[in-house]
Amino acid sequence: MLLLAAFAVLSYMAGSPKDAYGMVRYALPHMHRGTLKVGSDAPDARLVALDGSSRFHIRERTGSRPLVLVFGSFT
Amino acid sequence: MQIYNDYKDHADFLTVYVREAHPTDEWQMKSNLKDDVCYAQPKTLEQRVVIANDFIKRFKFPLPFGIDDMSNGADNAYSAWPERIYIVDESGRIAYRGGMGPFNYKPAEARTWLAARYGEVKHEAPAATPSQAPAAQAAPAPPPTPVAATSTK
Repeated sequence: MLLLAAFAVLSYMAGSPKDAYGMVRYALPHMHRGTLKVGSDAPDARLVALDGSSRFHIRERTGSRPLVLVFGSFT
Repeated sequence: MQIYNDYKDHADFLTVYVREAHPTDEWQMKSNLKDDVCYAQPKTLEQRVVIANDFIKRFKFPLPFGIDDMSNGADNAYSAWPERIYIVDESGRIAYRGGMGPFNYKPAEARTWLAARYGEVKHEAPAATPSQAPAAQAAPAPPPTPVAATSTK
């Protein structure tokens, strides 16, 4: 009963039961991911260019100036 | 992205496309339908490349761009999903770590970091719209402008 009430409240806050489910299923597990903090060495990762074949590393873009990294997707 | 235009002479920028936040086969939002941004979660790198290029074309996105490969190495290393901003300083260390989007995705914080270093970039207030202008001085209505690209997530 308590769980149902909590889900109802979350549904109200999220906008719909579907969004509440999405929040619990997809967002909550990510909320406390990672250990990076200010002062940590920036990790490297290999990326693919927009042509789909060229590859480069984040580290190649660091060093001479600050690098602003913006992560995201289309949706 | 205004912050890019304002500070690209001082800092490098790199946008990293990571796995989709609200694909049709996971947690699709009503806004995705409204904005006609409907993609299934890519299962291949080729699918990611297609979506990334769609994004670039739709918004005429000017920032340098990279795509996380199917190992999700960048996402995992930076806890990036669904969206997040970092600034890496010249020594290769994290100088700014933004919060997890969308609620804690705050480009203004990154701007504050850049402004503290390179100075604020001020923008003139937008000109008064015809409805705000005195009727006697109102100019003829301007021609319609193309739909401007919205800011990215």
